[in-house]
Amino acid sequence: MPARPRRIGPQQRRDFRAGARAIAPLMPGSVVFGLAVGALINLAGWPAWMGPYASATVSAGASQIAIIDALTQGAPAVIAILTALVINARLALYSASLAPVFAAFPTRWKLVLSYLMTDQSAAVSVLTQDAWPNPVRRRWFILGVSGPFTGVWILGTAAGAILGPVIPAEWQIGFIVPLMFIAVLVPALRTLPAVAATGISIAVVLLLKDLPYGLNVLAGAIAGIGLASFIPDRADAGGASGGGSPEAVAE
Amino acid sequence: MITAFVVFTVAAIGTYLIRLSGVFLLGGDRELPPRVRTALSLVAPAAMGAIIANSLLLDEGDWRAFGPWHLAALVAVGVALWKRSMGWTLSAGAVAFAALLLAGA
Repeated sequence: MPARPRRIGPQQRRDFRAGARAIAPLMPGSVVFGLAVGALINLAGWPAWMGPYASATVSAGASQIAIIDALTQGAPAVIAILTALVINARLALYSASLAPVFAAFPTRWKLVLSYLMTDQSAAVSVLTQDAWPNPVRRRWFILGVSGPFTGVWILGTAAGAILGPVIPAEWQIGFIVPLMFIAVLVPALRTLPAVAATGISIAVVLLLKDLPYGLNVLAGAIAGIGLASFIPDRADAGGASGGGSPEAVAE
Repeated sequence: MITAFVVFTVAAIGTYLIRLSGVFLLGGDRELPPRVRTALSLVAPAAMGAIIANSLLLDEGDWRAFGPWHLAALVAVGVALWKRSMGWTLSAGAVAFAALLLAGA
C-alpha cells in the first residue's frame, strides 16, 4: 500500500475523509468559538485579516484571546507573548503523547501535522490510534482530523472579524469551550488511570485557581499525568501492550 | 496594529516550536519505557480535565456561580457516559444549555 508515495489514491482520500468525519461533530463549536474570537479582533479596532492570520498561525483560541486581552488593556508586547506561550505550553504535552503516534511518519508529515495540532485534533488522534495500525493510512486519517478542523477555525475567525459581535452576549457562548472538551474526553474515559488523571487534574486546577496566566491549568495537567501514572491499569498489569485497552471500567 | 501583528507572529513561532517539541524529542526509533508510555496516554484526559475545570467551574479565576453552566455540563456528562458519542454529547449539552437559558435558570 505505501508503494506510491507521490499519488493521492482513493484509499488515502477515504482515510482523510474518515478523519474529517471523526472530528466533524466538533466543527460547529469551532466555528462559533471562532466567530467570538474574530469579533474580539473587530472590537479591538484591528484590520479584519488579523483574525484569520492569528488563527492560521497561532491556531490556539485561548492564547489568541489572551493576546487580544493583554494588548487592548495596554500590556507590553513581551507580556502578551509570554502569557500566550504559557497557555500553549500544554501543547508540549500533546506533542509528547503524539510522538509514538507520529513515530513512523516521514519528517515532512511530522512538520505539517504538528503545525495543525490542536487540543481537539490531538485528543482524537491519540484516542483513535489503535484503530489505525498502518502508518500510511494513519497519517492520512490524522491529516483529515486536524486539517479541516483548523480550516473551519480560520473561517470562523475570519467571519467574526468581518461581521463583528453578531452573537449576543446573553447567549454565553463561552459554554462551548467546556462542552467541546467534555464531548471529546468523557465518551473515551474507560480506564481507571485515565479517570484518576482527569479527577486529580480537576482538583489541582481548582486548588490553584489563584495562580496567574492560566498556570493552574498547566499545573493541573502535569499533576494528573504524574500522579495517575503510578496507578496500575488492571487491563495490562504486565507491560506496555499498546495502551488504550478496550476493556471498560464501570464508572 | 503593527504591535498586534508582531505579537501574533512571535507567539505563532513559539507555539509551533512547542508543538514540535515532543514529536521530535521523543519521536526517534527507540522504544519508550512503559512508564513513559503510560504517562503519555494520560496527557489527553489530564489536559482536557484541566481545561474543563478552568472554563466550567471557574470564571476568570473565581468560582462560577451555580447555574445553567453546571446543569448543562451534567447533562452532557450523563449523555456522554450513556451514548459514548461525541455528537450526542455536544447536541445534548447545547440543547440543555439553551433550554436552561431560555427558562431563565
